[in-house]
Amino acid sequence: MTELRQKGFAAHLCLGLLFSVALGSANAADEVDADGFTRPMRNLEFNPGLDQREFERATLDALNVDDPWERWNRRVYHFNYRADEWVLLPVVRGYQYVTPRFVRTGVGNFFDNLGDVPNLLNSALQLKGKRSLQTTGRLLLNTTIGVVGLWDPATRVGLPRQPEDFGQTLGFYGVPEGPYLMLPLLGPSNLRDTGGLAVDFIAQDQINFLGASQLGTDHPELTALRLVDARYGTNFRYGQLNSPFEYEKIRYVYTEARKLQIAD
Amino acid sequence: MRLLLCLLAPLCLLGSATLHAATQPPEPYEFPLLNPFEATIATTPLELRPQLPEDDEIDQRDYRVRLRPEREFLIPDNFWAVNRMGYRLARQKDEAPLIFIIAGTGAHYSASHSEYLKRLFYGAGFHVVQLSSPTSYDFMAAASRHATPGLSREDADDLYRAMQAIRANHPELEISEYHLTGYSLGALHAAFVSQLDQTRRSFDFKRVLMLNPPVNLHTSISNLDRLVQARVDGVNNSTNFYELVLGKLTRYFRQHGFIDLNDAVLFDFQQSRQALSDEQMAMLIGASFRFSAADIAFTSDLINKRGLITPPGYPIRESTVLTPFFKRALQCDFECYMNEQLVPLWQVRHEGGGLEQLIEEISLYAVEDYLRDNDKVVVMHNADDLILGPGDLGFLRRTLGDRLILYPSGGHCGNLNYKVNSQAMLELFRD
Repeated sequence: MTELRQKGFAAHLCLGLLFSVALGSANAADEVDADGFTRPMRNLEFNPGLDQREFERATLDALNVDDPWERWNRRVYHFNYRADEWVLLPVVRGYQYVTPRFVRTGVGNFFDNLGDVPNLLNSALQLKGKRSLQTTGRLLLNTTIGVVGLWDPATRVGLPRQPEDFGQTLGFYGVPEGPYLMLPLLGPSNLRDTGGLAVDFIAQDQINFLGASQLGTDHPELTALRLVDARYGTNFRYGQLNSPFEYEKIRYVYTEARKLQIAD
Repeated sequence: MRLLLCLLAPLCLLGSATLHAATQPPEPYEFPLLNPFEATIATTPLELRPQLPEDDEIDQRDYRVRLRPEREFLIPDNFWAVNRMGYRLARQKDEAPLIFIIAGTGAHYSASHSEYLKRLFYGAGFHVVQLSSPTSYDFMAAASRHATPGLSREDADDLYRAMQAIRANHPELEISEYHLTGYSLGALHAAFVSQLDQTRRSFDFKRVLMLNPPVNLHTSISNLDRLVQARVDGVNNSTNFYELVLGKLTRYFRQHGFIDLNDAVLFDFQQSRQALSDEQMAMLIGASFRFSAADIAFTSDLINKRGLITPPGYPIRESTVLTPFFKRALQCDFECYMNEQLVPLWQVRHEGGGLEQLIEEISLYAVEDYLRDNDKVVVMHNADDLILGPGDLGFLRRTLGDRLILYPSGGHCGNLNYKVNSQAMLELFRD
């Protein structure tokens, strides 16, 4: 009840704020041009000399990523681009063509559920109590009520997926990222995260949750399906940033995104 | 990976004032984001967007056509991916009208506004073709004759040839009639393309919808160039602007409990203590346009072998490190590109005169009579659009009369995906 009231209070506060903003702009309306133009840049504070070099400084800093194997990495980037265009994306299109959407969602959920095992391990390794409990809850709920993970009731009851990998665990304990590394087919990474990837892979193989890794060995088509599902579930397309400097941009964003994930 | 893109999007990449609009929106306009910077970055809150078909439900594919065969030999191996022009076609099962969508400054055909418009028009029963902007890297490399975008008439000519090639590429497609739309710079291109169509008559567009066009190109590029001069708090010797923004994001997600970067989170972020100030948002928008300017300057220089950024003949292979050229290109904003590459070309090829004459020729002024006399052209704009200057809306009103639909808020293209706007757009295409 108190929570509700607090929410009500917050809503009032928001309304009040909105109202004052509206009033503010009503006052500003006096300064609207005769043709209706409101001069949105008028209230911006500018650097008086207009000689600020912050964009240049920040961007030059951002290009400073440890990348000793850059020439190799760039070749792999082009290899991945081609593999994507000529093999992976056509396969994904075929997959979309032959399966109805609910099947694809089920497949995605199933593999996500398997992936919750390393998520749980890594949350626990980072001593994140709440997250470990939530992921445990997800595993229990999705494996039982969600029928071996084909359905994802956990997200609906407010237990969203919280990915944690061994690269993040290493980062959490202060292991530096090491040189940037473009992995064939898998995309951007660095030395630390590549190690993490291997550990997660081995762990999953050893735990053999739901017998999936055993099944995967007996039926390689399951592994293939997993790869197709992974590509289907990834929105990224090479060339999408549409810049001659896409390599640099991906490198920067990958590096920063990982820092963000580790800090969280 | 989705996270990566979301992060990049702002990089790469937005009460109501009294309205004097020629055509006023019928009911009080309730677009919630009154701050033009916020509207430009975040666009419409999810619950106020229209219901549209999902990607999965759309029969669509990306294609490439070879428009300039010589480019394959002229541009370095590194750019193998852009020696043919890419576009996206979404097709209906039966005969249907077709609409071309032209993307904004530097944007790819799959940019988010273009994708949104595709879903909107596809849902309304159109075949849809999405085109990259003539200022985008891929279009410049594959489809542009001079690879020096900015001369609107030339750019429109390139676009027109591209559209004809696309139609020829799909002879089986049953098309009842043609329409045209574009947003931001793409809207200006739409006007020039439509005018060209008056004489070439390949499409005979039935309706041309211009969304948030620049009026005076020089005003627009000076506004955008100036955004990175906004005085941002919190930047000092140890923290640069990106670190500042990322630091805010990190703290926000710590409070939030977990990372979940989506459109809804953007709003929540702006409500939190970490919210960005107007100046910081201006800087972010400005930075994203500077990246476009850098790409344009680099690509145009490279293809034309001008030697301003890349030494002509410099061997560029797939493994070549391009970062030094990126660093050089970053120094060049739109004004610099105009002065160093566009104006010289124009003076030589078109016997052009001074800057003023150029502005006159490439801005909407050049198609004023056409816009006035053709009822099929409609403009939608916002009173608080960042790319406009004083007098621009007056020009549009004088020229278009009640074919200008002006909204009081929305910033630059921030309200395109507001359901009131989408409704109004579709309404225009109904007979």
